[in-house]
This record gives sequence, C-alpha cells and structure tokens, in this order.
Amino acid sequence: MFGKGLLKGLKITIGRFFGKKSTVQYPEERLPLPDRFYGKPDFHYDKCIACNLCVNACPNKVIKLGTETVEKKKVVTGYHFDQQYCLFCGLCEEACPTDAIKFTKDFELTTYDRDTIGIEFVKQGQIDKKIKEVKQAAAEKAAAAEKAAAEKAAAETKSQTEEADKAETTNKEGGA
Amino acid sequence: MKTQEMLINVGPQHPSTHGVFRVVLTLDGETVVKANSVPGYLHRGIEKILESRTYPQVLPYTDRLDYLAGLLMNWGYVNAMEELMDTEVPERAEHIRVIMGELQRIASHLVATAAYSGDVGGLTGFIYCFRDREDIMDMIEMVSGARLTPSYMRIGGVAADLPDGFLEKCQKFIDYLPTAIEEYNGLITGNEIFQHRTKKVAPITAERAINMSLSGPILRASGVNYDLRKARPYSIYDRFEFDVPLGSNGDCFDRFYLRVLEMTESARIIRQALDKLPDGPINAKVPKIIKPAVGEAYAEIESSKGIMGVYVVSDGSTKPYRIHFRRPSFINLGHFDELIQGWKIADVIAILGSFDIVLGEVDC
Amino acid sequence: MENIFVNAAGGIRNLLESAGLPSLVVDISIMTTIFVAILVFVLLNVLWLVYMERKVSAYIQCRIGPNRVGPMGIFQTIADTVKLISKEIIIPKNTNKKLFLLAPVMIFMPPMAVFAVTPFGKGMVALDLNIGVYYFVALASLSTVVIWMAGWTSNNKYSLLGSMRVVAQMVSYEVPLLLSIVGVVLLTGTMNLTGIITAQQSVWMIFLQPVAFLIYLIAAVAETNRTPFDLVEGESEIITGPFTEYSGMGFAFFFLAEYANVLLVSMLASILFLGGWLAPFGLTFIPSWIWLLLKVYLVIFLLMWFRWTYPRTRIDQMMAFCWKVLVPLAIVNIFVTGIGKYLYESVRW
Repeated sequence: MFGKGLLKGLKITIGRFFGKKSTVQYPEERLPLPDRFYGKPDFHYDKCIACNLCVNACPNKVIKLGTETVEKKKVVTGYHFDQQYCLFCGLCEEACPTDAIKFTKDFELTTYDRDTIGIEFVKQGQIDKKIKEVKQAAAEKAAAAEKAAAEKAAAETKSQTEEADKAETTNKEGGA
Repeated sequence: MKTQEMLINVGPQHPSTHGVFRVVLTLDGETVVKANSVPGYLHRGIEKILESRTYPQVLPYTDRLDYLAGLLMNWGYVNAMEELMDTEVPERAEHIRVIMGELQRIASHLVATAAYSGDVGGLTGFIYCFRDREDIMDMIEMVSGARLTPSYMRIGGVAADLPDGFLEKCQKFIDYLPTAIEEYNGLITGNEIFQHRTKKVAPITAERAINMSLSGPILRASGVNYDLRKARPYSIYDRFEFDVPLGSNGDCFDRFYLRVLEMTESARIIRQALDKLPDGPINAKVPKIIKPAVGEAYAEIESSKGIMGVYVVSDGSTKPYRIHFRRPSFINLGHFDELIQGWKIADVIAILGSFDIVLGEVDC
Repeated sequence: MENIFVNAAGGIRNLLESAGLPSLVVDISIMTTIFVAILVFVLLNVLWLVYMERKVSAYIQCRIGPNRVGPMGIFQTIADTVKLISKEIIIPKNTNKKLFLLAPVMIFMPPMAVFAVTPFGKGMVALDLNIGVYYFVALASLSTVVIWMAGWTSNNKYSLLGSMRVVAQMVSYEVPLLLSIVGVVLLTGTMNLTGIITAQQSVWMIFLQPVAFLIYLIAAVAETNRTPFDLVEGESEIITGPFTEYSGMGFAFFFLAEYANVLLVSMLASILFLGGWLAPFGLTFIPSWIWLLLKVYLVIFLLMWFRWTYPRTRIDQMMAFCWKVLVPLAIVNIFVTGIGKYLYESVRW
C-alpha cells in the first residue's frame, strides 16, 4: 500500500525522538582515546642516539635533527618537529630504535600563529648539560684511561721488577 | 515563445558535489541538455610526489586518495608491492587485513548511504548512518591510531597486532549492524518519496556499464556479476563464504540499495574472519630498507568504490620509478556527463550521489 | 485566566475613556495596542519555533541540539539573530538594489496581515472579518510574489531556478489548499473564522472532513516550503534557492518568515479542523487561548516531524502529485461533502 513506507519512517523517527541521545558534550565529556592514538609528538632527549632513522623515515621531511660531534660522540643539538606538515602516520615512531620519539594523546594542536606550530624539543640547557656530561665522561674516561695506562705501566714495571725479582730468586734457588 | 538555454555551474563549491567537483550544466528550464564535468580541483599530484618518496613512505599518501576508505587504499598499494617483491604475507596478517578492510568497506558504504540520503533531502538518514559509522571509526582508531588516515598496513603485513578488546568490540558491532540496516531501510529505502526519486532514474545497461569500464557497486547494480573478491580472489577471499549482491535495473535505487546489501555481506565476511583468526606473526620478513629488483607490478583490489589498481615500476633503487593508481571513482565518473543528459537538475544530484565519488580519489 | 487578554484590552479602553479622550483616539490606540500585541506574539513564537525546530531535529537525530546559550540553549535564536544583525548585508553586482532590499522587508507582510483576522481565543480577535477564510487565502498567496522578487533581483541562476520553483509550487498548491477549505466552509456555512470555530462545538471538522484535513496538511507543507516539498530551498540542489544571495538580516528575515508562515498555517489548521480554541472533553477550566496554542503546536510538531523524516520530492513529481492526486481528491471531497450535507439536511427535515 502506498504510504506504508512513509508511516514506517515516521515511526522510526518518533522512536528516536524519545530514545537515547548519542551526543558527547565535548569539552566537558571526552571519549577515551586508544593507546595507539597519534597526537602531539613527544621527544625524549636522553633516549635519542642521533641515528637519523626518524628523519629518513618521515615521508614529509618534518623532522630536522641537529647533531654536533663532541669528543668523537654525536650529541643532539636540535630536534625540530614541524608539526604543520606532519601526517601523523607514525613511521618515525616505528623507525626509532630507542623510543625517543613518541606520540602522545594530546590532539588539541591549534596555535594562534604559524611560528609556534613547529616544536623545538631540545632546550639549550639540555644540550649544555649533555655536552658537559659527554665532556666530563670523556675527561673521566681519558683520566681513567690515563690512570689505567699509568696503572698498567706501573703494573708492568712492577711485574717486570717482580719478574726480575722472581728470576733472581729462581736463579738464586737454582743456584742454591 | 522564445526560450533560452541557461548555463549553470554546479560546484566547485556546492553542497552536494561531495567535495570540490564541478559540473557545467546547460539547462533547458530544469532539464539538463548538456553536461561537462570538470574534475581536478583537489589535484595534489600524489603520483608525482611519490616518485621522490621511499617505498614505505608511499603508504601515508595512499590514505589520502579515498579518504573514506583509507585502509582499502593502503591495501591496494601493499598488495602491489607484495606482488613486486614476491612476499608471502602471514596468515594472521591476512585475516587482520580482511577484517579491517571489510570494516572500512562498511564505513565507506555507510557514508555513501548517508550522503545519498542527504542528497535527496533526508538529513535524518544522514545522521543515523554517521552515528553507526562512528563505531567503525573508533575501531579503526583503536587499531591504527587514526580515524581517517590509518596507514595501518605495511608491505608484508600490518603495522601492529589487534589490540585488546578489539575482537569483542568488532563482534558487538557486527551483531548490531542488522538492526541499524533495518533502520536505514525503514527510514530511507522503504520511503515512497525516496523510491520515486530514485527508481528508474538514469539506468545504466549492463553492456554500457562494461563498455564504460565501470566497476564496483555501480557495475553490479546493472546486473554484471563482477566482484574481484569472487572473480579473481586476492588475499584470502577465496576462503570466505559470501554472496555478491546484484541489481537488475542499474538505476539510482539499485546503485544505492546494493551498497546497503553489501554491508551485510561484509559483515558476514568479518564474522567468518573473526572465527578463523589464527595466531602467528603479523609481518613477513621484509628487509628494513626496501629495494625491489628492477621490474613492475600491477595489482588490483576491490575497493568500496570499485576496482582499485596500483601499478608500481621499480628501477632498483629505494624509491619507486613510477606509481600509478587506477582510481575507481575517477573512471566511474567518466560515464557521468553522458548519463545526466535529459534528467532534471535534482536528478543530477541524485545520480552523482549514487556514483559515490570521493574527490580525493578522483583528482588524486 | 480565560479572559485575561480581553479584560486587559477592556481595562485599557476604560482607562483611556475615563481620561476623557475622544472615542476615535481611543479606538486607534486600542487597535495599535492589539496589533503590537499580535506582532510581539508572532515574533516571540517565531523565535521559539526556530529553537523548537532545532531541538526537534536534534532529538530525532539522536542529538541534543543547542544547549549552550541559556538554560537548555533557549536563547540560541536570540544569539543567532544578534549575530545576523551584526553581519554585513552584501548586495550582489547588477541587481535592482531597491527590490533586492525590499523583498526581505515585505516577506513578513502577508503572514502578519492574516494574523489580524485569526481568533486567538474566545473573543480574542482583532478584526472579526466576515470573509476571514477568503482573506487568508488571498493574502497568503502574496508571499509568492515576494519570494519571486527576491529570487529575480538576486541576479543569480540558482536564485532564479528557486524562484521559478516557488511560483510553480505555491500557485499550484494554493488550489488544493483552497479546495480543501471549501469543504469546511460548505459544512459550516460561514467564512468567518470565529463562526467556523463555533460551528465545531459539537464535532470537530477533522472528523467530518478527514480527507480535507489531509489535503490541507500536505498543501500547507508545500505552501510553507518545507520538506518533503522544500524544492524552493532544496539546499542539496540549488543551495538555498531565492535566498542564496542574502546575507545577515536579509537572510534572517526570510528564515524567520518561514516560521511565521508555519505558525499561520498551523493556526488555520487548528481553527478550521481542530476546533480552534474549543476545549475538548469539556476541559473548559483551561483557558481557550491555551487550547488554541496547544493545538497549533501539535500541528507544528507534525510538520517538523515530517520535515525530519522525509526526503525531498522532485519538481515534476510534486506538480504531478498536486494536479493529478490532490486537486481531483479535493474536488471529489467537495462533491461528497455537498451530497452528504444535502442528504443530512433532507433526512432531518
């Protein structure tokens, strides 16, 4: 009969009129985000080994990694993440061997101007600290090496004298 | 009485061209005399960009072709790459791909149904479909970390295993889907006004559909039984039991209703895949730096819009020499100009909606 | 409660007369007060209706709808109106500026004029016109001209298409609308709206004229350009039809006028078919004007319910439906009504 479909439609809509609503009142209520969500990136300075894998993995050349060789060791001096070009594909996170780059669940990434959209993760203090650490470590290592060398040398001379002594004694013994 | 034809621009900014698509219509009153479609407003040169990207970096760009079915676009690309590199994909990965791919197909068809309802003026149907699509989007987000641009598949497998709680959620959705479809049928499909608007509007004969190289639901609505999943099964589709719904008239109503029917079939496939889901690795052994041997490969999958083909040419370096996408929306749209001649301006919108184009894919 | 407005009017009249003003001045000031009251009533209702439509559509679509401005978002329309007032009115190139700007002003005129003769409650009618129904039909069709004016002067092809549809649609649907009312007029024997209400004392017209009510409802939906007959706006086809080029308050006027029209046709529906301000089941302790409002809002809800359920028809189908279904049906209805009335009267005598 003509009109049956029309009436059925009316029945469905009136049912929904009195039914449960599925709105989530966004700023107050929020749906839980899954763990794998790709939000704002986060960078762990201490974990980064400056291997450049993330830079190469990125399809859009978002990441700029600055390095400096201090005492034969690579130190990260800059990690610029140009967020406006990011595809949030997660290839950098996947490429990273040390989990230094991670994506957080923060999805509210709007900024008021273009200058603030790129994120410079590395602070000058961190670099100074790292360089100091590296230098210190290098110095310590050098010192340790020196010490070790000195010790070794000392040990060698000692052992030599000991050996000499030994030889003497054996000689003596042998002689006796 | 002297009458004059009127030239009218539908788009690129028009509420129901599904994006930035433009048709220049020559109207006689409300009747279309001549049509000239002008795509290209969303052209981003993806194929050219890809020539300067390494093979894994291509993946996020494929998301942006048909952004309503990102996973299927991913699949099309990795499928071609696997053929090029002769990679064997692990069982579990194949099953995950089927589950996610079919979920994405349902999501895409839901958008098509929704948009069609909106195009003919019923906005409530639009909202209902989107409400249910949200569940799928949540699932895709859960698995891949993004809703529309998942970049989830990898050459030789998938990015990550299914997370905890996914299987239950998926099962729940599959169980719920028939109720939702019943609701759409009651509100949209069964509505007499809707049927009057769509039945016998712009029919495409089977012969014409084949000649115009149409594919996907549009082709099957004309009664041609050609679904790649059945005709030339890729991945593991030969192991599942499902039917290919067929239309008989090839009119707007058939094109619309076929998608609703396909959702049920997709749900059937997902149910079987969930039951069979084996344990095991999710990635094949693929070298970290992908350097396929010199050669080329073309592989096709059945995307939600039609046959999605990817053609990859390798010159032996880490970057593809050329990648070409056979985008179903674009090729289907080739028949549009001819089809809308003689129909009213309201039908133009209905016909365009029944084609279910996505401009990201049309313009690439 | 029942006579609160009537008494208020009487009170003002007494006050003015006791002040010793000549009777002409008193009449004029009373009339002005009444018309301002009607204007305020209509505008308040229109503001409320915009809000109600948004809420109804939201509830039907499993949403909540506006809920930020004021309690339950009740001031949303006011906020929107304020926003629209503050917007620039853009006048497209090569238009007839005067007509372009006149159209949104004129659009309120026809519904407002009709409200002058509609009874809002027992004894609450500004102008008890003998030919109220005729006046309604005559004036309501004037909005066609105004919308055509807007569409034509916009100098936009979408507007032109929309306004061509307006003329085709509204002129056609006036015919079944009129013919469905004729059935009621035949039975009541009067064109006075108050007379029609009092004639329904024993039984409402909807029970005597169900077919006419249905035809009236469908034609009313078409007259107010609402889904499933919103081809005039048809936002998925021709953007917003005649209103495409309007911005700011110009657009707001058309938007609000649509609701004024909705209020008008719903009011007429409840007066002609639902017994107007008559209380059903002898529930007379509720004032008559509240009864009328209840009935009006019932009809309005029905219209909104239709709007958010149905898709849009196509222009040729709509015209075919009008001329091939509604008009013959309405004529048959008149015929049957006439025969029925004749038989009823001859049997009684």
